[in-house]
Amino acid sequence: MNQIEPGVQYNYVYEDDEYMIQEEEWDRDLLLDPAWEKQQRKTFTAWCNSHLRKAGTQIENIEEDFRNGLKLMLLLEVISGERLPKPDRGKMRFHKIANVNKALDYIASKGVKLVSIGAEEIVDGNVKMTLGMIWTIILRFAIQDISVEETSAKEGLLLWCQRKTAPYRNVNIQNFHTSWKDGLGLCALIHRHRPDLIDYSKLNKDDPIGNINLAMEIAEKHLDIPKMLDAEDIVNTPKPDERAIMTYVSCFYHAFAGAEQAETAANRICKVLAVNQENERLMEEYERLASELLEWIQRTIPWLENRTPEKTMQAMQKKLEDFRDYRRKHKPPKVQEKCQLEINFNTLQTKLRISNRPAFMPSEGKMVSDIAGAWQRLEQAEKGYEEWLLNEIRRLERVEHLAEKFRQKASTHETWAYGKEQILLQKDYESASLTEVRALLRKHEAFESDLAAHQDRVEQIAAIAQELNELDYHDAVNINDRCQKICDQWDRLGTLTQKRREALERTEKLLETIDQLHLEFAKRAAPFNNWMEGAMEDLQDMFIVHSIEEIQVKQLVPVRDQSLQEELARQHANERLRRQFAAQANAIGPWIQSKMEEIARSSIQITGALEDQMNQLKQYEHNIINYKNNIDKLEGDHQLIQEALVFDNKHTNYTMEHIRVGWELLLTTIARTINEVETQMLMRDAKGITQEQMNEFRASFNHFDRRKNGLMDHEDFRACLISMGYDLGEAEFARIMTLVDPNGQGTVTFQSFIDFMTRETADTDTAEQVIASFRILASDKPYILAEELRRELPPDQAQYCIKRMPAYSGPGSVPGALDYAAFSSALYGESDL
Amino acid sequence: MDSFKVVLEGPAPWGFRLQGGKDFNVPLSISRLTPGGKAAQAGVSVGDWVLSIDGENAGGLTHIEAQNKIRACGERLSLGLSRAQPPQSKPQKLH
Repeated sequence: MNQIEPGVQYNYVYEDDEYMIQEEEWDRDLLLDPAWEKQQRKTFTAWCNSHLRKAGTQIENIEEDFRNGLKLMLLLEVISGERLPKPDRGKMRFHKIANVNKALDYIASKGVKLVSIGAEEIVDGNVKMTLGMIWTIILRFAIQDISVEETSAKEGLLLWCQRKTAPYRNVNIQNFHTSWKDGLGLCALIHRHRPDLIDYSKLNKDDPIGNINLAMEIAEKHLDIPKMLDAEDIVNTPKPDERAIMTYVSCFYHAFAGAEQAETAANRICKVLAVNQENERLMEEYERLASELLEWIQRTIPWLENRTPEKTMQAMQKKLEDFRDYRRKHKPPKVQEKCQLEINFNTLQTKLRISNRPAFMPSEGKMVSDIAGAWQRLEQAEKGYEEWLLNEIRRLERVEHLAEKFRQKASTHETWAYGKEQILLQKDYESASLTEVRALLRKHEAFESDLAAHQDRVEQIAAIAQELNELDYHDAVNINDRCQKICDQWDRLGTLTQKRREALERTEKLLETIDQLHLEFAKRAAPFNNWMEGAMEDLQDMFIVHSIEEIQVKQLVPVRDQSLQEELARQHANERLRRQFAAQANAIGPWIQSKMEEIARSSIQITGALEDQMNQLKQYEHNIINYKNNIDKLEGDHQLIQEALVFDNKHTNYTMEHIRVGWELLLTTIARTINEVETQMLMRDAKGITQEQMNEFRASFNHFDRRKNGLMDHEDFRACLISMGYDLGEAEFARIMTLVDPNGQGTVTFQSFIDFMTRETADTDTAEQVIASFRILASDKPYILAEELRRELPPDQAQYCIKRMPAYSGPGSVPGALDYAAFSSALYGESDL
Repeated sequence: MDSFKVVLEGPAPWGFRLQGGKDFNVPLSISRLTPGGKAAQAGVSVGDWVLSIDGENAGGLTHIEAQNKIRACGERLSLGLSRAQPPQSKPQKLH
């Protein structure tokens, strides 16, 4: 009979019919099968003892030992971890009833509807009632449901068993009685989680007792689950007791789900730490690469800004060659490094965003803007340098050409002028006859016109010297010296010529006068005649000397002809080079352009999967890499052109510099575009799930969506979670409910279910989740100990944590306690204070 | 740069969320305020940069160091804050 203690309210409502039916069912049960009572006794006693032994006590007889309520209260305290009100220490009946009521009150306070169980029956040792009460306790605390109605928890547990034993073809769990009789179900459960404990292949369906005993043996020895069943009883009863089996199987559920939970928690922590360490590494790498690149730029800019001219063409050519080397060999890897740096930065920021971390801010001087600025300065210096190199080379070429011309002209002139002064200084007219002097005069006239003809040459020489000065010829001093000498000499020659003319004319006049007198002295002139003849011969010799000079000039002409021929050949060769370069450049330029357009088009297209886009981009990248040979060939031709000192090319609008810049831009663009697609894929995968997972979620949801209206109620959801191995505590379940049913409507939609599942399975973590994971490993303590970390995490991760966790200084602290909450929130750079 | 000081009377909680630190390469800042909490009442705003804690410069502190320092101030918490806008960091292209 139902007894209600006056003044104590039980929070339940029931119909009279319901109550009657319950009684009848129980009576019928007992009448039908005393075996069940026996099985329940054994199982429930074992179950109670498995908990009571933690408090250092046991029960022998289930209907006797709970009669005074003390061990009952103790049992509840052990399994819930909470304290009940102090028990009455009297031995009177009312003391006992009071104590049992305290226990029943506690059970009711946990939301359990107690149907027809009263304190008096328990104190009186009513077996049926006591077993019923224990079963209620087991249901509530071991199988975790919120009502005595078993359906949802039972179903959840059943589904879990079915899932775990699905791979075992000779096991078919349909219920909690007959399906377990052959013992294979228990063994399969063990093997599924701990294949090291049992050799499933050696088991035999025809030895059920052996199987059950084996399972119980292993469970007791390795899983800390005491033996709760009687193998013979189970096998020999047509339909074993459901509750006993559920109780025992629930212990397995707790053991394995708990271990799985700890493993999941440890995995999650490792994942988070790995993400952190990866991010740290990427940040360090960025800083390192940025430093190196900046340093290289700082070293290179002065070299490019150095405009000290060289003296010779060779030296400048060498400088040009060095610059070419720089552009072809040294700079391209740096362009790549810069591109890589940019890509790394973007990828890092994306990863940080996805893993819910604050954004990365590089240290002073290594910001993105700093690097961009430095690179710009580099390219500007580069451009100025190349221009300067080419100008210098042109200048030097002209200068050397001129200097050579100067030398030639000066030499020719000097040769011609050699000895002329001496000749002009001759006083050969002093003892010449009139005819002779006239002849000398005529010769002098010839000489004067020769001199006049050479005026041009001297002026040219002077002009060249002047230009060389203007062009800053390094040896201008010597040139000027020589020029000066020539000019001075020229002046002297001019003066001397003038003087000689005057002298000759004077002499002529004189001799004419003398001639007049000659007649008078003719007779006395013979010796003079002799002397005259001699003089004339001398003069004739000089004519011969002039002719040889003429011959020599004629010999020089073919030599000059030959150098003209060579020059012509050189011009033809240069023209060939120009055409060759142009032909290639005119093909390469447009090719680069079209590739750039292709890439741009590919990124505009949004239709199609990211993978397809990636494949297309990779194809482009492949083509581009294969095309590099053409660029190299062009560079080779360019080198030839520069060595031949050709600076213009009317056959093409593309310069080597255009092509280089275009090529570099192409490489950078393709790398950048590929990186953008990669980033998109990262983001998608972080939030996404596979098709299989989706199917599994759908199946679970549909199963527990009893009313088939696309909604689960809270109990269904809980059963669903249980069936997926989520062994939840109150607080955890409450937390999850606020996530999936934030408006408190009492239902869970498929969408919020999916959201929750993806959050749990996705890579995004929050500080709370990590803290929850640590809490699991710390067995619910607010701090964790070093040896717990070493036990649950891989050694290097454990060490990482031990080193960085601050000491825990909250309530209940012990020496060596580590504050995992502070550590976890610091991982995300956020703490609530 | 607009810097100012607040003094919060204890005990904790102070009602704000601290973000950043040297190990994150991000200056310490206030990322969230509990409505009506002590920090909010003292005039702290979301986004304020934390310059000093209990009179000492916060510039070189890691997140955990800053956290511990604040936790160590039991009865009274003195913060030096600033309301300027340091540079943003978004994905950028290096030209």
